[in-house]
Amino acid sequence: MPQPSTRNTFNGFALTWRMPIIVWQVLFFVGPLLFMVAMSFFLVKNYRMVEAFEFKNWEKMLTRGYFWDSYALTFILATLSTIVASVLAFPASFALAFKVSPVVRRWALFLLIIPFFTSYLVRIFSWYVILAESGVVNSILAQIGLGPYTMLNTMFGTLVGYMTLTLPLVVVLQTFALANIDRNLVQAAHNLGCSPIRAIYTVIMPLAKTGLIVAALFCFILSFGDFVSPYYLGGSKPPTLPILIIDTTKSGQQWPRAAVVAVVMMLTLITIAFASLALAYRKRASR
Amino acid sequence: MTSPLVTFDGVVKRFGDFTAVQRLDLTIDAGEFVAIMGPSGCGKTTTLRMLAGLDQPSEGTIHIDGQLMNNVGPHKRDTPLVWQSLALFPFLNARENVEFGLKMRNQGAKERRDKAMDWLERLGVAEFSERNVETLSGGQRQRVALARSLVTEPRLLLLDEPLSALDAHLVIRMQSVLTRLQRELGITFVYVTHSQSEAFAMADRVVIMSNGEIAQVGLPRDIYREPANQFVAEFVGRNNIIIGNITGNENGNLAIQAPDGLFTVTDYERVKNVNDEATFVIAADLVTVSRTPAESENTVSCTLISEEFIGSVVTLFLETKQGTEFKVQLQERELITLDHTAGGAFYLSWKTADAHLLPG
Repeated sequence: MPQPSTRNTFNGFALTWRMPIIVWQVLFFVGPLLFMVAMSFFLVKNYRMVEAFEFKNWEKMLTRGYFWDSYALTFILATLSTIVASVLAFPASFALAFKVSPVVRRWALFLLIIPFFTSYLVRIFSWYVILAESGVVNSILAQIGLGPYTMLNTMFGTLVGYMTLTLPLVVVLQTFALANIDRNLVQAAHNLGCSPIRAIYTVIMPLAKTGLIVAALFCFILSFGDFVSPYYLGGSKPPTLPILIIDTTKSGQQWPRAAVVAVVMMLTLITIAFASLALAYRKRASR
Repeated sequence: MTSPLVTFDGVVKRFGDFTAVQRLDLTIDAGEFVAIMGPSGCGKTTTLRMLAGLDQPSEGTIHIDGQLMNNVGPHKRDTPLVWQSLALFPFLNARENVEFGLKMRNQGAKERRDKAMDWLERLGVAEFSERNVETLSGGQRQRVALARSLVTEPRLLLLDEPLSALDAHLVIRMQSVLTRLQRELGITFVYVTHSQSEAFAMADRVVIMSNGEIAQVGLPRDIYREPANQFVAEFVGRNNIIIGNITGNENGNLAIQAPDGLFTVTDYERVKNVNDEATFVIAADLVTVSRTPAESENTVSCTLISEEFIGSVVTLFLETKQGTEFKVQLQERELITLDHTAGGAFYLSWKTADAHLLPG
């Protein structure tokens, strides 16, 4: 007896249960997104937004030097953050995946999740105390006759903030990627004359490639869109794109121009995400 | 006199409280094909891994080519291993997999490529050299894995159940590939398996392991016909094991009283005395079965329980009045003359010379 095809028949049950998430996504994600894109073509007259379809905002933003300065700064900071976080996280993830017992690994992963219990903003303010001119770090350094160093309102401060946001997540993602590697493949490499250090980049990193790239991608996305760190620890001068959005909305109710910045950010992240996922999941061409 | 290539001297391996290998003494000569065989958990794979340096012995010493190998890391040895899972690198194509060992020895790109292609050619998979290894069939992957291990021209090749994932007809084909390679190259193969047919078909010498100890070492035929103890007798082949008391001894011909009758076994080594307990083995293929009482020294009468048909050879499972199980192997065409489906008594008999007394 032929099985009835489920592919083209209407399944009311499945649709009913999927409905809430579909409605939610359409109302609160797709809708606002489309509205934001539309808004980037609106105009502001007498501090009031009026519906229109003009390219004025795009022209105004994309022809200004300060916009591209912000864009470059944000992109460089996010890239730097991704590199620093990936490099800092790797030894820790490697140790958690290969060197410790499963019990220690479980506890470590639990402890890595704990920072997310407190608000990110609170954690950034505690860095304020630590990094300030008369803060914890500088007073310790003063004991041995060094400093004081300016760490707040610098790129360094911003990066410290980004690490607070991303490092635990990157370690968790990298650890999962490394822990799932087939140990036989690593031992096979040793067996074929590969030293343990060399095995890290000839075998372990290629095997964990997908997970390592996904971890880096998350780091880039979070850093690129973050407002808090560059604002409070980086001093917001020059502004990053998220700060630029806030500034633009505050100055003369320029919501449409802010929308332009937001749309550019979205497009950048979509491009980066597609490119890195393509790289992460690329299979060797078989000839 | 040639010194042995591999020497295990009092080797013990413990993992925490578990002793995987206890007091292993074994020598392997250069050019030998040695199979290590035993049930799961007998320590055969651990023994192989210690040769590769992937595990270090807890006690005792391992020498390869006269050099002490304890605490020599796996990457500093030339002991390639063919893995049960094959362990081919999925991010490299077939040729790059074969080149891996050469690359680790810092050989030039051209030289690596030529050697890798030579070996792929030799194993008949050169046409797949640029293919992703995941797109190859089991047999093709097997050949790539072999090429990868042999490309560095080692003196010792380790194989860990390499054929266990292959289809039966491919196993036979790969067995001939392996034996031919071993003869041609003259290198030493240490082959771990749980399969008796693989071990007996290929190896010069077979090591049977049980519970981390060597149960017997010998030529395949000797192990098959003259098992050293009850474990080997049960593990190897289809043997009937009979335990009884010695009631008489005439020039080494022992009369053994067992629940199913009085049997005669020759004690060539003269190790047994009257009133000792004795265990002897009669291989299932050396038992004659008939429907009429036989005129022979050793006979029992049984009823048929079941039969196992595997092609040209049939195994009959029979039971005596006392409940002892007997196995008889015979050709399928012999079975027809027995009228075995009719029920009634079967008479088993064997020659005294075919019975093998266990020395233990």
